[in-house]
Amino acid sequence: MPATTKTNFQLFTNGILNENPIFRLALSMCPAVGISTTVMNGIMLGIAVLFVQVFSSCTISLIKNYIHPRIRIPTYTLTIATWVTVIDLVLAAFLPAAYKEMGIFVKLIVAFAIITMRLEIFACKNSVTSSFWDGVGMGLGFMFGMMAIGFVRELLGMGTILGHDVLGFRPLLFFVLPAAGFFCVGIMMAMFNYVELVYNRKKRAEKR
Amino acid sequence: MKEIIRITLGLTVSCLIAALVMGSVFIVTDKAKRHNEHVNVQNAMLGLLGYTEAHPAPSDLRLYTVYRYIIEDGDVRTLGYMVPVTGNEAVRYQLVVMDLDGQFVDRFKLDITPEKAQEAVERASALKAVLKPPRTFVYSDSTIIARLGKKRLAYLLPGKFPGFKTFIQVILAIDPSFEIIGLEIMEHEEDPGLGAEIKQDYFKNQFKGKSFEKIKNINVTKEPLPKEYKRYLEAGKGDGTPLPKGVVDTIRSKYQDRDIYALTGATISSKAVTDGVKNIIKKFAYRMNRLDSLISEQHIPVAF
Repeated sequence: MPATTKTNFQLFTNGILNENPIFRLALSMCPAVGISTTVMNGIMLGIAVLFVQVFSSCTISLIKNYIHPRIRIPTYTLTIATWVTVIDLVLAAFLPAAYKEMGIFVKLIVAFAIITMRLEIFACKNSVTSSFWDGVGMGLGFMFGMMAIGFVRELLGMGTILGHDVLGFRPLLFFVLPAAGFFCVGIMMAMFNYVELVYNRKKRAEKR
Repeated sequence: MKEIIRITLGLTVSCLIAALVMGSVFIVTDKAKRHNEHVNVQNAMLGLLGYTEAHPAPSDLRLYTVYRYIIEDGDVRTLGYMVPVTGNEAVRYQLVVMDLDGQFVDRFKLDITPEKAQEAVERASALKAVLKPPRTFVYSDSTIIARLGKKRLAYLLPGKFPGFKTFIQVILAIDPSFEIIGLEIMEHEEDPGLGAEIKQDYFKNQFKGKSFEKIKNINVTKEPLPKEYKRYLEAGKGDGTPLPKGVVDTIRSKYQDRDIYALTGATISSKAVTDGVKNIIKKFAYRMNRLDSLISEQHIPVAF
């Protein structure tokens, strides 16, 4: 596949909408289902993924010419693991307040499919600048997805938003449980697909 | 063949680079990280005793740590307590050995300061100097004893027990009659929104003020948490109007001997914490009574 022809801005929005990791690429469904119980969790995990994605993308795109094609996947895993460890240690040492909130989320990241896939699909074929913007877009897209799911689940499951009581009661405890994650993701994915369908139809109609 | 060598070499080199990066970051950050953890624990302990930044601890508050070791000499198992002892000038540690029935066995002077004793490695080398092979020793746990002036104020018990998923780490503060002063959840991996609620005031504050008699057979109840009790438990948060003094006392005495109200949708986590706390306190009370009677019997001038 040739290097991308998209501009940096297109790369950036690409991750958030056209190729949203959760709703469009259907990657990293484990965290999307497991941890998205509150908006805050979504934000935290989103930030953590954003950083690891950007750092890993840049690293791989820097060393892409030296990676033997047969061992590229182990190399990606190693890169991600290294960055996760580095971020975890640095946060714990120099930003204890942030670490208290983020610590458990950072450690989860090593196994995320989204990061490995972006390295495989994008970073190993493109320049550092493009990879950076792709990483930022994907990270933010993931954060947006997690927040959207978290919003629905927190509101319906606990009646709160960001920990503030807005409904005054708990409508359906079911939404906090992991199984509800599938429902939320599924319904939102369907919405995304529907919007795309309508949009494409309109476009075609305009062309005629 | 050439391919294999290239792949092996590539993997080795990338692993080495990764190891180098992680290792150097670890060296740079380790000290600060451990310092942060230490400060964290220290703050949590002071917080449990009611000392915050706005209301700092008095200068004559002392925290002494007692370390408990299990010593094995062939088939014979004894217990070793590293206790701080007031000497001529400074506080030094002594090792008091008792058998499993609580009878005095031996006593050694240890060449270690309280600051150094915080490091497991330093403790091990000090103990090795007095416990000659074939005797072996294993660290079991530690207790922090808070002393205010001449009075023993509280025991702080770091503890760990299985929760719904993995271990829950807590610090318990109890007064000399083994009544609970407070509970702080340090680390846990319970489900957010369900078991993770054990960190909330309205759950962990339920343990406050439970007497030793109550703790011995405490359980969880699945009844809903009464509104007035919830308000009382969350009074420390500072939002909403504070409850009038008279109401506080009535609510406290009303719920003092009740069981712990389980969290909605997280009965297992609630039960785990309740049982964990119960176990920690029961075991500790048993051990502390034995240690105390041994100390007074042997006239050891302990610092706490």
